[in-house]
Amino acid sequence: MHNDIVKFLNESVSGCEATLRDDLAGDPVIFVNKENIYDVCKNLKEGKFEFNVLQVITGTDYEDRYEVSYILASYSKNSELILKTKLNKDKDENKETEPVLDTVTSLWKAANFQERECYDMLGVTFTNHPDPRRILCPDDWKGFPLRKDYVVEEVYNGMTVNPAEKINSADHNYFQEMKEKYGDKKVMHSWKK
Amino acid sequence: MQDSVLMLKVDDFFNWGRKNSLWPMTFGLACCAIEMMATGAAKYDLERFGCGAFMATPRRADLMIVAGTVSLKMATRVKTLYEQMPGPKYVISMGSCANKGGPYWQHGYHVLKGVDEVVPVDVYVPGCPPRPEALIEGLMVLQKKIANERLLTDRWVKHA
Repeated sequence: MHNDIVKFLNESVSGCEATLRDDLAGDPVIFVNKENIYDVCKNLKEGKFEFNVLQVITGTDYEDRYEVSYILASYSKNSELILKTKLNKDKDENKETEPVLDTVTSLWKAANFQERECYDMLGVTFTNHPDPRRILCPDDWKGFPLRKDYVVEEVYNGMTVNPAEKINSADHNYFQEMKEKYGDKKVMHSWKK
Repeated sequence: MQDSVLMLKVDDFFNWGRKNSLWPMTFGLACCAIEMMATGAAKYDLERFGCGAFMATPRRADLMIVAGTVSLKMATRVKTLYEQMPGPKYVISMGSCANKGGPYWQHGYHVLKGVDEVVPVDVYVPGCPPRPEALIEGLMVLQKKIANERLLTDRWVKHA
């Protein structure tokens, strides 16, 4: 089924470069270019595969890229599809560009909250989103908590986030030491593969 | 009984009334709230202790059971709700999250490490979540505490 979808996408959306990855652990995944995400979704919904339901939009922070995943489902064909797109982190001039993606809210209403969550947690901006606010964190929250380089705030709204007398500092320091000793390599290893 | 006279201390009379009509606020934050509901329902029946009338507004409640994880976003709301309650008012911190941050104690970027950071807590009930028996125990500890209050040194009278 996935090969048919890849073929269908490459025929109907020019330049989307749909590729199938079934060598990764887990379910097979179709990658598409980020510029064509709206057209790809539109064709998947209105084309012959009839993906009428958007189940999830979520994101992942990798070392060199963000990946945004869409899980689609079809009630009439009884099928599911994992669609992913890569947003490269541009590290030129020591300045990272913020990830930007087109919204699919006009295709599935469910995308509204899912995209807001993706923005809230990872900072992926969805252009033309009808209501681009945070959804879980407070409106005056700083930073995007699920990014790997996120640093926990010390004080929020006058409240100390980690009061020293309530934190097991020995445990905290142990992890800090381990990190200095071995570096982040063990975590990085799975990313580089 | 018609013309009988009852002699007792004003303190005892007040405390007896207060401790046996604690009205909690309908207020749950996470999974502890499910245990709180179970405690209020038929099997454990908080009403036996005069504590079953869950009020839908803080303005009619005497007791706030903080049942669940207090996130930083919710903390300011919890404080507002506490301030809206009329005195004398009491707080039971239910479960590990409300006591000290629970499983979010180290990496919870969004969790308040204990509700006592924003409101004064009378009784801490440990557990994750506590069984209904534990909450009832906490309530009885609070009732004992109320029974020993003295009107003239009462914090509610002093600040009135």
